[in-house]
This record gives sequence, structure tokens and C-alpha cells, in this order.
Amino acid sequence: MASTSDWAQALLSPSPLGLVIAILLAISIPLFLHSVVFRASGLTTLPSILLIGPSDSGKTSLLTLFERGTNASTHTSQAPISVECSLPVSNTAGSDKYRSAHDPTNQAHKKFLLIDTPGHGKLRHHALDNLTNPQNLKGLIFIVDAATLSAGDEGLRQTADYLHDTLLILQKRMAGNKALKALKDLPVLIAANKMDLFTALPAALVKSTLESEITKVRVSRSKGLLDSGIGMDEGADDEKDDWLGEVGSQDFKFYQMEEFDVTVEVIGGNVTGGEGPTVEKWWSWISERL
Amino acid sequence: MLDSFEILTTSGVVLWSKSYTSISPSIVNSLITNVFIEERTLPGAGIADDISAANNPPYKHDLHTLKWTTVKELGLIFVAVYRSLLHLSWIDKLVDNIRTIFVDLYGDQLKKPHTTLVECHFDEYFDQQIRELEKTSLNQDPRSTESAAPDEVAPPLTPKVFADEPPPLPGLLSRGQSNNNYRDSASNGSTPVGTPDASRPTTPAGHLLTGKAKPGGSRRSRKAANTPTVYASSGDESSSKKRPMKNEPKKGRKWTAEGMADEDDDTVLDYSLPANGATSGEDEAKDRLGAAEIDQATWGSKTGKGQFVLKDLDDQVNSILTSADAKKVDSAATSTGLFGSGMSAIGGLFRNVVGGKTLTKEDLDKAMKGMEDHLLKKNVAREAAIRLCEGVERELIGVKTGNFESVQAKIQVAMESSLRKILTPTSSLDLLREIDAISSPSPLSLQKKRPYVISIVGVNGVGKSTNLSKIGFFLLQNKYKVLVVACDTFRSGAVEQLAVHVRNLKELTAREGGQVELYQKGYGKDAANVAKDAVTFAAQEEFDVVLIDTAGRRHNDQRLMSSLEKFAKFAQPDKILMVGEALVGTDSVAQARNFNTAFGTDRSLDGFIISKCDTVGDMVGTLVSMVHATNVPVLFVGVGQHYSDLRNLSVKWAVEKLLSSN
Repeated sequence: MASTSDWAQALLSPSPLGLVIAILLAISIPLFLHSVVFRASGLTTLPSILLIGPSDSGKTSLLTLFERGTNASTHTSQAPISVECSLPVSNTAGSDKYRSAHDPTNQAHKKFLLIDTPGHGKLRHHALDNLTNPQNLKGLIFIVDAATLSAGDEGLRQTADYLHDTLLILQKRMAGNKALKALKDLPVLIAANKMDLFTALPAALVKSTLESEITKVRVSRSKGLLDSGIGMDEGADDEKDDWLGEVGSQDFKFYQMEEFDVTVEVIGGNVTGGEGPTVEKWWSWISERL
Repeated sequence: MLDSFEILTTSGVVLWSKSYTSISPSIVNSLITNVFIEERTLPGAGIADDISAANNPPYKHDLHTLKWTTVKELGLIFVAVYRSLLHLSWIDKLVDNIRTIFVDLYGDQLKKPHTTLVECHFDEYFDQQIRELEKTSLNQDPRSTESAAPDEVAPPLTPKVFADEPPPLPGLLSRGQSNNNYRDSASNGSTPVGTPDASRPTTPAGHLLTGKAKPGGSRRSRKAANTPTVYASSGDESSSKKRPMKNEPKKGRKWTAEGMADEDDDTVLDYSLPANGATSGEDEAKDRLGAAEIDQATWGSKTGKGQFVLKDLDDQVNSILTSADAKKVDSAATSTGLFGSGMSAIGGLFRNVVGGKTLTKEDLDKAMKGMEDHLLKKNVAREAAIRLCEGVERELIGVKTGNFESVQAKIQVAMESSLRKILTPTSSLDLLREIDAISSPSPLSLQKKRPYVISIVGVNGVGKSTNLSKIGFFLLQNKYKVLVVACDTFRSGAVEQLAVHVRNLKELTAREGGQVELYQKGYGKDAANVAKDAVTFAAQEEFDVVLIDTAGRRHNDQRLMSSLEKFAKFAQPDKILMVGEALVGTDSVAQARNFNTAFGTDRSLDGFIISKCDTVGDMVGTLVSMVHATNVPVLFVGVGQHYSDLRNLSVKWAVEKLLSSN
């Protein structure tokens, strides 16, 4: 009995140790709360734009062009890279649309991250990881080489395959994954590059060729064999809704993707600054998305 | 002579390059795809922290040879391109030295996130190295370099060039010369040979030469080195250093700002005014100031008169190289010290748990051994397992582990990604679309309709006929008109076996509208001829797909394998698929390799079918072994006894099986 009252007395008496602990707590709790709250909400990442596309279509060239304003020589990429770019003076970001012309914030140029990904077949998981694990992703630029898209070309098949896979991932993000639902309304720009070449198709034709080729892709995917592993163990969580676009539609059209909040635009241009359309329109596309 | 030298990052941006002749970028691209991405040429034994270019096997791409080295943590690749005909003894040294110098000078800039810009004024350093190495090699064997010299006319000697030089402004001239004097005396002090009288008159000449053409200059220096009366090398090198001073007044730049800049760099510097004039002028000025401070500190000093003078290039380069060497020796020495090793062992243990440890070969060795055993247990051939482990080791040495990440976990992740990389095909493997493209080409393209020919090869008893009929069933379900060709004219009962398969397929798919026929010529005929006849027959009868079954053959029997070349020539198959069974172990590598080379020089396998995957459970290592040996992708896996038990390979599934621990 004596011991309990001793304990109570010791606890309630104004000991220096208790005082120190109390002061420490009083100071550290607000600090701790502050750091937790601001860690969670803060860390504003720059809006980012993802560059994606088959190998040798000009992704890294575009990246260096947007960063430096001039071309740099590039080679096949092996690793993704993100680069901080800023909008040119002539373009105002979409989010600044309603600012007055004399608003001083207009002087500060909008910055964004441009993420380049390798296009080689073995390294596409980098790009797809970036898609499924987005950080403030504002848009997707799918670069195609317009000069290799003529009918029956190997380049067309590869490009359509990759585009199909990319769009399918975007479509599926609506269906299941919670993390992916965060990116609503993701615009896709199909940048038809290398318009300066003689053999390049015009943007409208690029669009229709890709649409018809994707139609073929999805038909043959639906008829193809199952993946190994599906029949073998019970890990058959992948329900077979790998049909891109509107179910039951005869032909694939890009506008079918709008159902899944994916708007697809096709704009021509060329990175090297040759004749024909330049990157101007791509800039304005980006600026509208920021 | 060197054709080109490039420094590029793994993300594909060329940081600095110098080319003496125009070479196609596809040369370097093919190096990257074949060596770095697809790992076609097996890297040499060297898996040390920094691999010298001598240990990396040279890569040959039509007429050109490429020597390369990498800096892993910075993601840099150094490539030297030269004609295969030439024998450049100093090329390894050059690549290595350039790597050391570049990393030392610009390593900090490279670590900056979110930019591809590296401001480098590297030309001087590179030229200096080239000169030095050429000089040393010349002393060793003059003949090899002499043959390597370009067929350019040697530039006219000093007096004429002197006259060619545009007369600079008087004030400028005197200033430039006073600089030169200073420069020359400085360089003479440092270089062992050299007389001031000889070096001074050559200075302007050297300047012009470097401005004109580099090879000429180097040739000249070589010549000069042969004749001891003129010591041209010091003239050359001071010329390159002199250039910026000459530029300065024309451009109206400040000394402090652009100490080393020359014409080329001018544009580079413009980039740093952020693209599209985004940042304000104030920022820019700040940038410039910052750059100036660095420049001044590292590259030059001011004379008493306030003139900016560069440090001696030779000295700087040598000090960089020697300090790098010393560092290497140092690290070797510390690791052998008793006390040091004890401390580092304790620290290592602690970090092993907490993370943040820089991995060394010793750390990895034991864990890698375990991983290798694990792979061997999964029926991966030893050769493939060793290669995979070496690849992972090379990737991990020098890497820091994350917080609370053990070495094992790190290896696991790295192995997963490298398995994924090896199994992922380079291009899409959609068989149906390929068949469509050939058998019913779009009217726009100018191709003629013809049947798509698939032939199947393999060792005896792996299931060639069974898998052929599985593919047949799959194609029939997709309403193709299929011709099955019996080219096994050797084993008794082989044709009858196929006939049974065809009959079954007919019955199974008759209702769905599939059409399948057997083409056979009995026994004893030449298989290649039968195949050729069958293809022409199929073209006449408008079949969509021709499936050719061949006789099983032992892969190390030269007599049997040699007939495959003729077969490939006669039948012209669009796809040659090899069936390998999942049961086979180490031999799978040899099988795949021999079959891959059996079709002659311009034809190889297009894919594997790995049969009997249902009989091995988790031990699907054969997949990896075969792909490792040939870089040919796995098209299908057989997972059962029925016609429908054919699957596409899911890389995720295979990797999971290979890494699962039971």
C-alpha cells in the first residue's frame, strides 16, 4: 500500500525529469505534426509529360530540342531520363488561361518535367512503369516515325502494337487499379515525327493508318493463344477484357477512347527543323495541358 | 586514324563528340542495341568496378571497329570508332584516359538531376591526349602509325601559313602575343624537351592548322616529332590554348566569363540561356557568373597584369590521371590493412542490415553463389546461370543499397529484371498478324499473296510433330487453310503419325470451317525437295499456311545438320521454329546454338517452342538457357497433352517460377 502511494507521490511531484520530458513533448509534437502534414501534402512535383514510342522515332531528339532549343545528336536510349523544360514565351499554360495579360506571374515561365523512355522492345517496361506509377502526369506524347508507317511496313506493325498496348493500359486504369484512377482524363498526343522526309505520311493519314492497324491488332489479340500461366495455376485474376475501345465495334477509332477519358490527337511535326510542320503545334498542345 | 569519338549517356544523349570523318549514327546505335541492350556479344571476364576498354571486347560493325568503356554510376558510355583495317595500339589507353579525365572534370555536372546539359570544353583535352598517345606509339613502332596516317597532303610549312593568317588588330596582336609568351614559357617549363626559340614561330601556324583540319595537325606533330629540330608539339598545344584569347576581343566577352570558350562552345553556351528564353536575364547573368568562378578556379589564373592565363593542359591532365591511379592504389592498400579491414567488416555488418552500403565484389560473392545454385536447381544451364550472375554482379558492384535493404533483396530485384530482360522479345511476336501480312497483304502494298511457311526442327523425340499439330489446331481455329507437309522421310511411321494428326484436326475443326491437308511423298525422298514442292503446291492451291515437319536430328551430328542448310534454302520458310523440351538441362545451350547456326550464314532460328513445360513444375530453366544461347525469343510453350495446350510465353510467369524458392 505504501509503495503505491509512494509511486503516486513520485509521479505527481514536480520533478526536474518530468519537467524536461514535458517541455520536450510540448516542443516536439507541433514540429512532428508539421512535418507529417506537410510531407503528405507538400512536395509539389512539377507536372510531367511522358514521351513514349518505338525505337528510333525521335523521342530523345525531341527531349533535347525542348530542353535546349536546338538539336543535339542522340543514340538509342537505354535508360529513362526526366528533364526540366519550360514553356516558350509565346505559349501560356492552360491553367493560366484566365490570368490577366499583365499578371506578373505570367513572366515566370511554366516549368514541367519531360520524361523520356527507351523505345527498344526489351526496355519498354520503363515506359509502362511510368504509366502505371504516375507522378502528376499531365499528358502522354506517343511519337511515331511517319516515314515508316506506309501499309505493310514492319514499322507500322511495331508502332501499332506498342500504341495498342499503351492505350490498353490507359483503358484498364479505369477498370481496376485505384492508384491509376488518380489520373483522370489523360490526353494523348500522337506526334507524327519526321514530316520533313519525303516518304512521311500526312497527319490525317497517320491517324487512319494507325486506326486500321490497331483494329487488326485487337482482332488478332483476341484470337491469339492464352498466355502461359493462366491455365496452369489459379492466378487467373486477369479477366479477359483486353478489347481496346468500344466493345462490339467493327473498327477501332481513336475517339472511342474518350469513353475512358483518353483524348487522342494526331499532330504532325518534325524535330530536326526541316521543311514542313515544326514542333510549334506540339508546344501548344503541351501548354494547353499544363 | 580515329574516325570518331563519342561520349554519350545511357539515356541516349551525346554529351561530346568529335568526328574526323562522317560516320553513320547507326554504327553506335548497333553497338548499343547489340552489346548493351541485347547483350549479344558476351562481355569479357572483367567484372571489376571500372572496366578498362582493353577488357571489353571490341565490337565490329561493317568496316568499323568500336572500342568502348562505361562509367556505371554516371551512366556514361565512351566509344571510339575506327576502321577495322587499322591497328591502333593506343586506342585502349585513349578511351581509358578520356574516361578518367572526363569524369574528373564533369562528374559533378553529370549528377545534376533533370537535365541533359553538360557544359564541356573538352576538345583541348582530347587533342592533347591524342597527340600524346600518338607520340608514344610513334616512339614504339613508327610503322604502324605511319600506315595509319590519313592520305591527306601534309600542310605547307610554317612561312606560308604565317602569311595566310589574317592580320589581327594591332592592340589585340600585342596582347595576344604577350599572352603567348607567357604561355610558352610556362609550357616549356613543364615539358621536358623544347626550346623557346623553336616553339614560338610555330605557334600561329599551329593555330591555323587546328582551325583547318585536325588530322593535318596531328600528322604534323608526328612529323615534327620525327625531326628533333622543330619541337612542334608545344606549339600545337599552346595554339589550342591560344584560341580563346584570340576570340575574346571579337566577341566582346569578358575574360573571366569565357576563359576557355571557342567558336563551338559559343553555341553551347547559348543553350544555357535556357531554351526559348525562359528564364530572365538576371538568372542568366548569375549563371554566367557561377560558370566564370568555376572556370577561373580550375582552369587558369591571372597574371600580374590581370591577364587571364590558362593552366598548362599537360600538367592538369597528368595530375588527373596520376591522382586517379593513386586513388586506385589507395583503395587497394586500405582494404588490405588489418585495422581497416576489421573496422570495415563491422561497419559492413551493420550496414548490411540497415542499408546504405556500397556493394563490393566480396559482399556479393557469397550471395551470388547462392543465386547461381538456385538457378542451377531450376534447370538453368550452368553457362547461362553464370552469365546471368555475372551480369547482375556487374550491375550491382558500386551500387548503394537502399534503407533497410539487404544485399539479398537487392540481388533478387536485379536478377528479376535481368531475367525479364533476357526473356522479353525484341519485337512483337504476333504470329497471326504476320501470317495476315504475308498471306493476305493489303492492296496498297506491292506484295504478292503467298503462303506463310513455318518449319519445325529439333532433336529426336522432343515433340516436333505434336507441337506442329498444336500450332495447326490454333491456326485452324482462326480459319486459315493449312497444309501440313511430312518432310520426315526417314523414320518409319513418321508420315502415318502426321496423317493421324491431320485426320484428327480435320474432324475437330470441320464444323468451324478450318481446312487442313497433308502433303506427303512417302519415305526415302530428299526432304528439301519435298518441302520445295509442297510450297509451290500450296501457292497453287491457295493455302494460307504451310507447316513443315522435319526429321529429328542429333545436334552434334554434322552429317544430319548439314542438310538443314539446303532445306532452308529450298523451302524458304518465313519462320523456323525449334522445339526444345523443358526436361533437357545443360545440353539445351548446345542444342540451341547448333541449330541456330545450321541454316547457313544468313538464316537463323526465329523462335523456340519449349515443350513439356507441364512435366517440370518450377524448373523451367531451359527457357532461359536457350534464349541465352541464341538471343532467339520463345514463341510458344507446350503445357499439356491436348491440341489446345499451347500457350504464349508470359515473361512474368516464367520469372516468377524461376525465382520462386521451393
